Amino acid sequence: MNSALLAVVTQAWPYVSASWIIVFGGLAAYAVVIVRRGKKLSRELPPEKRRWS
Amino acid sequence: MTNSETVAATGPLSTGSSTTRVIGILALIAMGALLLFGLWLSPDDVNQGDAVRILYIHVPSATIAYIGCALTTIGSVLYLWRRSQWWELTAYASAEIAAVFTAITLVTGMLWGRPTWGVYWVWDARLTTTAMLMLLLLGYLALRRLPADYDVRAKRSAIVGLLLFPNVIIVRQSVQWWNTLHQKPTLFANGLGARIEGLMLFTLFIGFIAIGLTFVWLLIHRFRVAYLAEQLEKEDLDRAIADRRAEGIVR
Amino acid sequence: MMWRSARLIAGKDLRLEWRSRVGMNQVLPFAAVVLVMFAFALNPDSDLLQKATPGLFWVSVLFLALTTVGRTFSIESSEGISDSIRLSGLEPSGFFLGKVISIGVQLLILEVLLGIGVTVLYRASPAEWPLLLSTVGVATVGIAAAGTLYGMVAVSLRVRETILPLLLLPVLTPVLIGSTRAFEAAINETPADGWPWIGLMAVFSFVYVAAGIFGFGALMEDS
Repeated sequence: MNSALLAVVTQAWPYVSASWIIVFGGLAAYAVVIVRRGKKLSRELPPEKRRWS
Repeated sequence: MTNSETVAATGPLSTGSSTTRVIGILALIAMGALLLFGLWLSPDDVNQGDAVRILYIHVPSATIAYIGCALTTIGSVLYLWRRSQWWELTAYASAEIAAVFTAITLVTGMLWGRPTWGVYWVWDARLTTTAMLMLLLLGYLALRRLPADYDVRAKRSAIVGLLLFPNVIIVRQSVQWWNTLHQKPTLFANGLGARIEGLMLFTLFIGFIAIGLTFVWLLIHRFRVAYLAEQLEKEDLDRAIADRRAEGIVR
Repeated sequence: MMWRSARLIAGKDLRLEWRSRVGMNQVLPFAAVVLVMFAFALNPDSDLLQKATPGLFWVSVLFLALTTVGRTFSIESSEGISDSIRLSGLEPSGFFLGKVISIGVQLLILEVLLGIGVTVLYRASPAEWPLLLSTVGVATVGIAAAGTLYGMVAVSLRVRETILPLLLLPVLTPVLIGSTRAFEAAINETPADGWPWIGLMAVFSFVYVAAGIFGFGALMEDS
């Protein structure tokens, strides 16, 4: 039982997949939140005030 | 109104632009290449097996987090020196994105540690310094987000931001010394070792490019969002003042 | 000019402290409470308390520093005192140094008393006095300088009590690490291990005193 547990723990693929999924998912989610907020704020401002000048 | 006049009257409706579109597409291509090489084409490591594939994200994320932190310090210095709002907003945006990548560094570090060392956390120099970086960034962000007059908020955050990178350096040095006191050699040594080469090194480079481009893309968008937020606050303030003035006019 | 302002501010603060006796009546008993709590938490019969003494000492100092800094700046933000200070023409760098001296002196007194408490209650055996005293000196300057700078950053904010620890404590970790290791080196009578940490803390103190001297002006413009 112990050696089977050890084998599962030392198997890297679950951790590799988890890492990549969390990172890509997290970055994508953050990107979506930022772009959405940008669109919402843009709508609330008059056009000449929307970009740095 | 003609079509172009309508467009001009409406202005950009999002924080995107041709620049961000180009960078975004390049970032996506680089991420795709990273996936391809990281998860498939590159070999697994002699010692760590497949766990090394996590490092292709972990190491570039750590590097970009430190770069973002340095950018925040530079922006803070320039704000204090020149009172440049552009630099202050850059400092803020950079800090937030650096916090995202610091979190990624910590999470991937822990997920790499479990199959390699058997534990999720060790108080080694790099992980501990990264955890401290996270705390320092959270402090800066908490202060920067407080509701207050822009100038007050910006100046105080800039002082904290100015010291951010020096703090990281001093903390890093003290943690490294502290760590050598109870060094456990081989087991907790640098994950990639000295002999990374060939296809693995190439994959690491792709990792740096992909993460670097993603950082830049996020930074531009986050800067623009921060700018819009400040503009909106000013608008609201101007409107409130105008309303007050109108109230004072005797009919 | 800078030093004159510093003396004025430090003198005012320390006189206020002396007259109000809050330090003696509240902060010191708080330090005693902390010492006793650690003893309860760590089982005084074992070696643990003795071994942990340097760490516990400096963690207590950090908590006392939070209290001291908080109180020093709450005086300024009440009753519009900050406006009168700004208008009085005091140099910002002098104001900064004055605060650093005031906080530093209060901390030194607390550290000496805490040291006596620790020696008595935890049966610590101090040795290597040059190292011990240098540690106390350089660590106190660093804590006072960083505390003054971040204390001013947090002044008159409604969330001052929660944001000050969040800003100050991570920044002070090098001082915590350094002073604890130096104390351990002193107690174990291996001073060679301790002196490098003094150097690190000296750099830290230098950075923060410099940052305060140059940056305090911006903070005082519109507190």
